[in-house]
Amino acid sequence: MVSSIGVKALLLAALVAVPFITSSYTAYQLGLYILFGIVGQGIVLCWGKGGFLPMGQALFFGIGAYISGTVLKSDPSWGVVLLAVLLSVLVPGMIAGIIGVLVFGRKIGSGLYFSLITLALSLLGYQLANSQVWLTGGFNGMTGIKGLPGIDSFGSLYFFIIGALVFSTCFLAYLIRTPFGQNLEAVRENEERLQFLGVNTSRIKAAAFAISGGVAGLAGAFFAPHQGIVTPQVVGFILSAELVIWTGVGGRFGLAGPVIGAVLIGFLASGLRDYFSFWEVVVALVFVIIVLRLPGGIAGLAAAYAKKIGMSLDTFRSSPRDEQILSSPTNSQPRLEFKNVSLQIGPVVILDDLSFEIVDRGIHCLIGPNGAGKTSALNVLTGKLAHNSGKITWCGQPLEGMQPFRMSGLGIGRKLQVPSIFPELTIRQNIDIALWVNRLKFGNVLSMRPYRWHKALKDRLERAFPFLIDAEVLAGKLSVGQRQMLDFSMTVLAAPDLILLDEPCAGLSKAETETMISAIADLAKSSKATFIIVEHDMQVVELLSDHVLVMHQGRLLAQGSLEQIRANPEVRRVYAGGSK
Amino acid sequence: MKRRDFIKTSMAAAAFTAASQGNIFSAMAAPKLKVGVMIPLSGPAALFGPSTKNVAQMAAEKINSGGGILGRKIEILFGDAGLPPAEAAQTALRMWRGQGCEAFVGMHNSAVRGAYNNVFKGQVPYVYTPNYEGGECANGVYYVGETPAQSVVPTMKWLAGEKKLKKFYLIGNDYNWPRDTNVIAKKTISELGGKVVGEEYMPFTVDNFDSSLAKIKETGADMVLITLVGGASVTFNRAFASFGLSDKVIRLGTLIDENTLLGIGAENSKNIYSAASYFANVQTNEAKAFAKEYAKKFGSKAPVLNALSGSAYDGLIALDTIAERAGSLSTKKMDSVAEGSEWDSPRGRAKMSNRHLTLDIYLATAIGTNFKIVKTFSRQDPGNFCKA
Amino acid sequence: MEVFVTFLLNLIYISATLALIALGLAMVFGLLGVMNMAHGEFVMLGAYSVYVVQLAGQHFLWAIPVAIVICVMVGWLMEWLVVRHLYSRPFDTLLATWGVAILIRKGVEVIFTRDYKSVNQVMPGTIDLLGVSYPAYRLLLVALIIVLFVALFTWYQKSKAGLKIRAMVQGPELAAAVGIDTARLSRLTFIIGVSTAGLAGVLLAPLVRVEPYIGLDYLMSSFFILIVGGLGTLEGLLIGSTVIGGTDAIVSTVFDKTAGYMSVLLISILFLWLRPDGIFYRR
Repeated sequence: MVSSIGVKALLLAALVAVPFITSSYTAYQLGLYILFGIVGQGIVLCWGKGGFLPMGQALFFGIGAYISGTVLKSDPSWGVVLLAVLLSVLVPGMIAGIIGVLVFGRKIGSGLYFSLITLALSLLGYQLANSQVWLTGGFNGMTGIKGLPGIDSFGSLYFFIIGALVFSTCFLAYLIRTPFGQNLEAVRENEERLQFLGVNTSRIKAAAFAISGGVAGLAGAFFAPHQGIVTPQVVGFILSAELVIWTGVGGRFGLAGPVIGAVLIGFLASGLRDYFSFWEVVVALVFVIIVLRLPGGIAGLAAAYAKKIGMSLDTFRSSPRDEQILSSPTNSQPRLEFKNVSLQIGPVVILDDLSFEIVDRGIHCLIGPNGAGKTSALNVLTGKLAHNSGKITWCGQPLEGMQPFRMSGLGIGRKLQVPSIFPELTIRQNIDIALWVNRLKFGNVLSMRPYRWHKALKDRLERAFPFLIDAEVLAGKLSVGQRQMLDFSMTVLAAPDLILLDEPCAGLSKAETETMISAIADLAKSSKATFIIVEHDMQVVELLSDHVLVMHQGRLLAQGSLEQIRANPEVRRVYAGGSK
Repeated sequence: MKRRDFIKTSMAAAAFTAASQGNIFSAMAAPKLKVGVMIPLSGPAALFGPSTKNVAQMAAEKINSGGGILGRKIEILFGDAGLPPAEAAQTALRMWRGQGCEAFVGMHNSAVRGAYNNVFKGQVPYVYTPNYEGGECANGVYYVGETPAQSVVPTMKWLAGEKKLKKFYLIGNDYNWPRDTNVIAKKTISELGGKVVGEEYMPFTVDNFDSSLAKIKETGADMVLITLVGGASVTFNRAFASFGLSDKVIRLGTLIDENTLLGIGAENSKNIYSAASYFANVQTNEAKAFAKEYAKKFGSKAPVLNALSGSAYDGLIALDTIAERAGSLSTKKMDSVAEGSEWDSPRGRAKMSNRHLTLDIYLATAIGTNFKIVKTFSRQDPGNFCKA
Repeated sequence: MEVFVTFLLNLIYISATLALIALGLAMVFGLLGVMNMAHGEFVMLGAYSVYVVQLAGQHFLWAIPVAIVICVMVGWLMEWLVVRHLYSRPFDTLLATWGVAILIRKGVEVIFTRDYKSVNQVMPGTIDLLGVSYPAYRLLLVALIIVLFVALFTWYQKSKAGLKIRAMVQGPELAAAVGIDTARLSRLTFIIGVSTAGLAGVLLAPLVRVEPYIGLDYLMSSFFILIVGGLGTLEGLLIGSTVIGGTDAIVSTVFDKTAGYMSVLLISILFLWLRPDGIFYRR
């Protein structure tokens, strides 16, 4: 078995050796492509890890290049140069961060809007760079940029670029492994779930975008002395698109991908284009095929091959869980209040003046015929749907217009009906994300410590659901029943005071249902949490409920103990006559 | 024949053969001089690549038939200069350091020139051929294209006098060359006592000129100086004519070449004037011979000759002339003797002055999709950008 | 007065042509969720059809069937080979169609070279309208576009195919369940979408330049219109093109074209950010 550290050291040695074994101009050329590859590494962070595609990354690259170019024109000392590099990283990083906060904060997801905004910004940047001649030198470019003091741009600058590559690779690799990185991947996998767990996903995305902007700026800082000229093309749309293509072809899931893509296509293009003017056709074809058939790109192929020959690329070491964390104590009595809540979508009345109050701990089952509005009641409670009128409060706090992730801070946790997990992450990672809820702070989100956290509740859940012990299994590989159990485990591990479960036994076999019911009962007994369970299966209700609420046609029909409900003539009428 | 005589003669013959062979060998031993010719093979300017490629080959043949440069036959290597500057610079560097080009001739935009300057740093002779905004005088670089001082000033003055023009509208793309050209144009206009009624710069991406056309109409301009490039120029001129403006308003451009005119189309070309140092239709003997040879070599369907290919041809001739005069390809020696170098080319008689060329400038008017020369302004001075 | 009338006519013309150009993209994006980056290339194919027809010495109108045949063929191939595999993957569609755009562009370059091709004017000359002489063909074009939109609107609202498409958009599973062949319908929608782009190319060819790289300009304009106008309705498309065309025209008239272009970019960014429902209005 070949060790992956060995391979990486070998690669680095090969990169360092390039100027000695080939010519200096080959190294010079390689240097440029590596700079583009570094920008691509930022794209990996956003696209491969976070699942949102930035299409104007050249903008940040170019801003970095213009900043460093402006400073280097004055033939500065090393101190000033270092300051320039720092600025070239910070300014684009901050701009990207601000864009990220503004855009992601608006609940528009990470879909095409974001991509299109970044694309438009890159177009805007190109226009500005062209017309603000006093600042940028315009179309003809910012010229007269000197190299780094005492460094030959065609010689030793190459080693600085390798240094930048090593730095960006190590930094991003570390970042991806931290809880921040893991949450970022969870955003890609299932952003909604993460929000219900109480994670401010837009902040994570904005941070990732800011970092990608900073990384692009770092590459730009070296681009200026490398080229001695900075022209508007470096902020433009074409370079932005090319960066995405290089990243896609090289592989968007790992940090090696974009470097491979940029270097390979770079050399291929420079070798081919003087003889074969339609080389772009080749690149375009390869790109289309990769998008269609090989989402992992060249790096993905290489990794698959490495695995085949028995090389382990993933040097994952699981850390011992030796730091006990306690559930936040439930301090107050639950008090959930629905007051005259109405919801209408189009002509359909879904909730009709719904009012009820829950003030006791224990398990409350919400039942009612199909279309009674049970799930919708939970949806307006967690802000997934906006109700038209009425008031919902939790412990006196109004919940109107609150973003889902804030609910968790108030102690409200929810499990959706369809099992909602992070399929490409392992069981351990899924569990970790739940354990971290409301505990990740600026101080520890970038440290490895949260991986060591442990909770007694986790042991209890593992006893109830033994498959959880096999922690390195991908969650996506689990059966539907197991996913329900994992989802449930995550919900309760987040330690909410109010747990909303929407048909937790849907799709479970008889045996699994029994396991689930006993787990819920066990938890309800041992914790101080309040459960609201939407349920169809009267057997489940019978086994679990302390208190039952019956909904019908968007209203509360009756509530009380199961016996009382059974005795209620109105309820009998509704159930006997179907959902009339 | 006596045996001794025989030996003598055969030895002499052998010696002669050896000597002559030696000569042949030494001539062949002089390695070919590789000249990098950098032209746009991709990107928006790639349109101008093919004809330039052809004339570069013609120039090389001409130079080689005259014994090459410094006794060495030249071999031309083409490189793509239509790329973003960073990638174009990579190609130039590879051709210089990797493939051993010892001199460069380039036909491309100023941004790429800036990138090349930064690669070459005056260590290798480099002839920049297209017309450009002027203003540069870098070591080892020779500029053979016309500057605005040469093309705009005399033609505008002549046209203004001839057609009694008073109101001028300046429109160009939003970058250095149009802006710098218009600085000179505005000076000329004020000297003429005319008035600039509008000055506008368009982003490269613009494909709708309605607001500008409305302004041109509203201001009653009687001449429009066009410094739009390529596609923008085509779109603008087509829309211009469709509004019926072409009957009343004179259009003058310094980068409306034969290709652009084809795109504009015969119906839309009325009253278009173009100023340049070369047109395919220049009627001097040298130019006619050149055009004839071009047609013979590349056929009647060959890409049309234009100002850019004309000056690119001159670029190779300039390289030959200056290097021969210096007796070396060292840029230091070439720089020191460049001034006053003179030669004849299809463009006319050229003389180097402050690294640029004193040139004949032609003013042509569009007849359908062809240009007809209406006036020649001989020996125009390029201006001096070499002052310290 | 004259200035104002010219401005108004220009505004109507630009809004109408922009709507025509964006129509195909709006259909494909609005109905299928496919951001077709090769949209502009179909406009380009339409424009080249006119050139080819003219080269063959035929009447301009022949370009319409020629363009439609070409676009249907290319569009069908593209849908079959690429797009249909990516219907639920928006980023991948965007990237793959970008790759296809490069291929189409380069293909045209192989056949026709980079040269500018000049297409003859169809109705040269100007017409006097409200005291302003305005290009005749432009007026004809505006009239044509209005007719086209009215016809399309009626078809979409009244015809059976229109009903099926609406059903598919609102609930693909349900549509499939009631026996609508959604795969076939998607292909049909895609092909119709790119064919309208080709038609736009034919109609605009006499006015614009024709070369292999014009597609990008049309893609960008269409893009901005969709962003502002939103999808799903033809009204939105018209509003979008009026806002974009109007902003550009007003700002360019008052300041200059660079300001006009930048204001279009800024408006698009603002809409994307503040009114994303404008762009993705799907129930």
